[in-house]
Amino acid sequence: MNELLYNFAVWLDSHELGTRLHESYYMYNWVESTHVLTLMLCLGMLFLIDLRMVGFAFTNIPASAMARRLNTPMLIGFTIMVVTGIALFYAVPVRSTQSIWFRIKLILLIAAAVNAFLFHKNMVNATGDWDTQVRAPSNLRLGATLSLVFWALIVICGRFIAYDWFDCEYTEPGIMQVLSGCIPGQTIF
Amino acid sequence: MDAPASIIGAYRRTIITAGVVLVALVLSFVPLWPVADCVSANSSECLVTVRVHVWSGLYDFFQWLETTPMGVIGKTWGAAFALVEAVHLLGMALLGGSVFVSDARILGLGFKDVPCQEILDKAHTVFFWGLVTAISTGIFMACGVAGKIYYLPVYWFKMLALITGILFVYFIKRPMLRRGVDNLSPLTARLLAVSSIMVWVTVAATGRWIGFAG
Repeated sequence: MNELLYNFAVWLDSHELGTRLHESYYMYNWVESTHVLTLMLCLGMLFLIDLRMVGFAFTNIPASAMARRLNTPMLIGFTIMVVTGIALFYAVPVRSTQSIWFRIKLILLIAAAVNAFLFHKNMVNATGDWDTQVRAPSNLRLGATLSLVFWALIVICGRFIAYDWFDCEYTEPGIMQVLSGCIPGQTIF
Repeated sequence: MDAPASIIGAYRRTIITAGVVLVALVLSFVPLWPVADCVSANSSECLVTVRVHVWSGLYDFFQWLETTPMGVIGKTWGAAFALVEAVHLLGMALLGGSVFVSDARILGLGFKDVPCQEILDKAHTVFFWGLVTAISTGIFMACGVAGKIYYLPVYWFKMLALITGILFVYFIKRPMLRRGVDNLSPLTARLLAVSSIMVWVTVAATGRWIGFAG
């Protein structure tokens, strides 16, 4: 599996566009800054929805109204983050693929997506007058808390990608190497 | 709405703001402070701006910051610094989210069926905690890199933007909105909302720029 990912990343690395982005004077910085600053929009809306569900913010507004109205700006921000995120990955494919933090971040993103899907399903099926209560029903509160935890960890992992503590050239053969996707004897990018 | 007592009363805040900006510009660009032990035939060479004088005086403070426990931890363990920085981003998300929601309501872009003051009050609670998180983590990070940021112009621009943002929120935006959004002219309300978004995006952008500089 790691071989497959490595070969795919090396093939991506052979693309001139990605190299030009990585070695650009300003463009990479613009893409990365957009990725980081857009979290004010995307995660800002998302955290407000989650905080409403657990009863910490905007308690005077119906919970489903918070979720419905803030969903659109959140998805706009999320789209920008996905596009810039893919561009960032495309610029530095091999190191990102072999970064343990990037891998954890992707797994957490999938978990957050599953959580969001289940949360939406639970919210649509919720009965009773939970909407105007300060705290949402317990299954929605669980989904909101998990969402807060997942996204906080996603931000932390995203920040850690830049650090080289577990980079392939420094990692001893063992479980960390396997989890990071390092292949013994590979070219160090 | 009460009629102002005098012609100045209605523009009190405008005059104070203009005065503060003017004083800041003068202190930043007009050489007024005499340099100690300066011998020069040309007397104007012995004057520096108050800004440079204050900046020089802060040198010892910034050197001291790096010796504090926060500074030592930030310098020794990159993981601790990065973790605090990630929390800084989470505070930034809360701050940005609350600013977007309140400014969207002022602009009439969302939650139009909820009274404006309710949205603004609830958003301000989130804004406050986002700001507290961002500032406390920011102080931690500043301690770790104090010696470097002292010499970075963009760091000082961020501090300027941050102070502007805080003063704007507490002395312009909130007082004006306390009278009710409907009591403001539509142009004023829009300017408030747009300025608010611009100042906080500037704080975030200059903050990111610090990472690219130095």
